Amino acid sequence: MSNALETTHLSKRYGRHWALQDCTLALPAGRVAALVGPNGAGKTTLLHLSVGLLEPTEGLVQIFGCSPLKQTTQTLPRLGFVAQDHPLYKDFTVADLLTLGRKLNPRWDDTLARARMQKLGIPLDRRAGKLSGGQQAQVALVLALAKRPDLLLLDEPLASLDPLARREFLRTLLDATVESGLTVLLSSHIIGDLERVCDYLIILSASHVQLVGDIQEITRTHKRLIGPRQDVDAIASTHTVIETSHTERQTTLLVRTNGPLFDPSWEVQEVSLEDIVLAYLGQQVTERPASLPSTRKQHGMEVVQ
Amino acid sequence: MIWVTWRQNRTEGFVVLGVLVLSSIFLLITGLNMAHDFQQSGLSACLANNKQPFHVCGPLGALFLNQYGPLIPFAAVLLILPVLLGALVGAPLVARECEQRTNLLVWLQSITRTHWLIVKLVLVLGTGLLVAGVLMGLLTWWYRPFSQLNGSFNQVAFDFSGPVLIAATVLALALGIFVGTLTRRTVFAIFLTLALILAIRLPVEFGLRPNYEPQITVTWPLAQSDNPPVTLGRQDWNLGQGWIDAQGNKTNNVSCNGPQQQTPLQCMQADGYRGNYLSYQPADRFWTFQWIETGLYLAISVLALGATFWLVRRRLV
Repeated sequence: MSNALETTHLSKRYGRHWALQDCTLALPAGRVAALVGPNGAGKTTLLHLSVGLLEPTEGLVQIFGCSPLKQTTQTLPRLGFVAQDHPLYKDFTVADLLTLGRKLNPRWDDTLARARMQKLGIPLDRRAGKLSGGQQAQVALVLALAKRPDLLLLDEPLASLDPLARREFLRTLLDATVESGLTVLLSSHIIGDLERVCDYLIILSASHVQLVGDIQEITRTHKRLIGPRQDVDAIASTHTVIETSHTERQTTLLVRTNGPLFDPSWEVQEVSLEDIVLAYLGQQVTERPASLPSTRKQHGMEVVQ
Repeated sequence: MIWVTWRQNRTEGFVVLGVLVLSSIFLLITGLNMAHDFQQSGLSACLANNKQPFHVCGPLGALFLNQYGPLIPFAAVLLILPVLLGALVGAPLVARECEQRTNLLVWLQSITRTHWLIVKLVLVLGTGLLVAGVLMGLLTWWYRPFSQLNGSFNQVAFDFSGPVLIAATVLALALGIFVGTLTRRTVFAIFLTLALILAIRLPVEFGLRPNYEPQITVTWPLAQSDNPPVTLGRQDWNLGQGWIDAQGNKTNNVSCNGPQQQTPLQCMQADGYRGNYLSYQPADRFWTFQWIETGLYLAISVLALGATFWLVRRRLV
């Protein structure tokens, strides 16, 4: 299967600060991916590099095999993008914005745009600045969708929305992905709302990619192990330990399994996606996901990595 | 993109059109009046027959200047329109998009950034050319009586009597667009543009303009009268008359600290003043000067617009 988005050792530096470092990942076409990481992790930088709004300091980024910076005439019609805080021309009416979309995009689907606006109950003669935040986000999403992109990127689309607006926004998005073979990458600092719509996960933390993969695969291979207090070296030799916590009598681990677990002293539990994400985000800032162990105190618990 | 640019800037467009219409009405009404008087009084016919200063027509010239001369500053005020166009239309053109982050919306439509910028520039510069062209035509027509009296080769009339007005408009817009793209802050860009336009135009107009070609200087001895031995034509640009001091420098201030009984002439001779001078640029250099200044402004504009393209293509978000 071809990749909608592919990055190789992608890095971006601002002055002396690396916003994104050595990012290598592939997003297969047809996936709906969540790009998760704390604020400042480099999510926006990765998205802007992907759509050609930024030039990489090092490395390569490709959209369906084309450079979004040099082959813009090929990539732009295939890209949909909703920037953070969904900017719109505030003094344009919704109808004006649809005209803008129609005039600037050869693949524009006006029927779809108007149908969605009607379904959402957004009046076409209203100025964008007079719409609620949720409606503005919806308009921005419809503008991106009616472009008929093959890859849609959304930068923190849910951040400024209330729970109801979030649900409606995701419903519009879900409708669109079901109808077409659209590939989606949306960033968020939380995973909660995204679990229903996404089937692919990219975890970004401290300018580095921590985990990339199919969500089912991720939840299948990650387990929580609970057992009597013990050393983790034995298990770490075959599996990747993501998080360790000890109490007086117990040791609890979150591991990525690399095969079957034989040791009967561990009680094996399923673990939720949210917990997996939190475990990765809680990791010490490292060059690579698995690196030298270090110890620190966190919330009164000893955490060893 | 043409529609989008129009939709984004139509308010400014209507304001510009309104100001232009009002200015035109003012110029047409006063201009027709003036032209009528100029013909009726016989001044026009008198001046047409000779190149001498307008005093040869008796009091007619002075009367005309007394009556209509006070209108000149009102017409000259219109010359700030190109400057305002640069600051208020040019500077926000890209800056406002960056400030409101709508560039992130429009740059991800199916047209390239270069295409986006070209359309904006063509439409805005085109409007600027149109405004400047209309102003140039109207002001030149309006000023004709004064031009026949005193010529257009002077600091004020030079600004609107030829392509310099168009070039100055392009310059203001180009600087505004460049500064807006560079700073990405609308209000800051407006003020910086104003400052930059002044910083370029004032030295050009007062420093360079009188010297695009070496001035012609006529000198004559102190002992003769103050009246120069040559008579400047009405169309020549008189750059000043004065004295040459002991060091050979031109001056039009004489401080003479001799005894009370001396006549000024004796005093100046005692201080070593060498003679009188008169500097001017002859009328036939008018168009050369117009094209030199036009070329200078257009060259700066091309640099500014080139830098704008570079910025938009390279330094992206």
